[in-house]
Amino acid sequence: MYRIAKSLRWVLPIGVLSVLLVLGAVAVAAQTSSATAGVGGLRAYWHVFIAYAIVILLVLGWVVSIGRRLKDIQQRLGE
Amino acid sequence: MSIAGIRRAGIFFAVLGLLGLGVVYWLSFFWVSTEAAQGIAQRIFYVHPPAAWTSFLAFGIAALTSAMYLWLRDERLDWAALSAAEGGMVFGSIMLITGPLWGKIAWGTYWTWEPRLTLTLLLWFIFLGYFMVRRTTDNPDQGKRYSAVVAIVGALLIPFIHLSVVWFRSLHPEPVVIKPEGPTLPGDMLTLLLTSVGVFTTLFLGLFMLRYALEGLRHELHVRARRAAA
Repeated sequence: MYRIAKSLRWVLPIGVLSVLLVLGAVAVAAQTSSATAGVGGLRAYWHVFIAYAIVILLVLGWVVSIGRRLKDIQQRLGE
Repeated sequence: MSIAGIRRAGIFFAVLGLLGLGVVYWLSFFWVSTEAAQGIAQRIFYVHPPAAWTSFLAFGIAALTSAMYLWLRDERLDWAALSAAEGGMVFGSIMLITGPLWGKIAWGTYWTWEPRLTLTLLLWFIFLGYFMVRRTTDNPDQGKRYSAVVAIVGALLIPFIHLSVVWFRSLHPEPVVIKPEGPTLPGDMLTLLLTSVGVFTTLFLGLFMLRYALEGLRHELHVRARRAAA
């Protein structure tokens, strides 16, 4: 149970970030004028969302990867 | 600076960069105006060029430290090259994924084999080769030397990638900031773009330091193991 909770600790921040991204996209849609909203249609919103999500995923992926390797090395150094 | 000090500085810059990324997202969604011709898809612009700049910076650092490693044979230079190359791959991947997402809306296609895109993909594959060369040689020192040469050869492409849109007929937009007559972007868009470039650079430097500290600790572990065996 503890291991599951530990492995899910990244789900919450990523979920919160995803919700913020969706809210951001909605806010952008609300402030975009009717003249520019149509460029690319709904697909443009998806592409912006995916692009911003990719940045978060890859950067956090690198952060987690470095963090895990550092922790592993420190444990081995402590033994 | 000690490995522990580099690690602390890395954590500071990485946290600063992550907070900055949140600010860039907020400014991008709630503050900056929408570009008239491209509409909403233009907002990809606030992550794509900063990722490109950061990856070129990282590959440049990898090449420079690799060249110095070949000259001085200092292990710390190899750690720096490896750490920068890993960061270059991460930010290069962001660049190569976000660019086509914008291209599909602006050009109607995800990919076209025009000079800048092709050379950038080639650069990414050369640095993929950097890691493969390191791992596939039996002698680790030989792997470090060969991969250093690969990094130098790869980084030679960076000036060509930057100038390819000027030299060749290209679909890719020409530079809007680094040009002789100065930036041609509206004030708010330029402010956000430069903020994003600063944030991506800070984030890279923080994670680069942490990655370097990791190599330092690995070396320490290796030294201890050798001492124990002796």
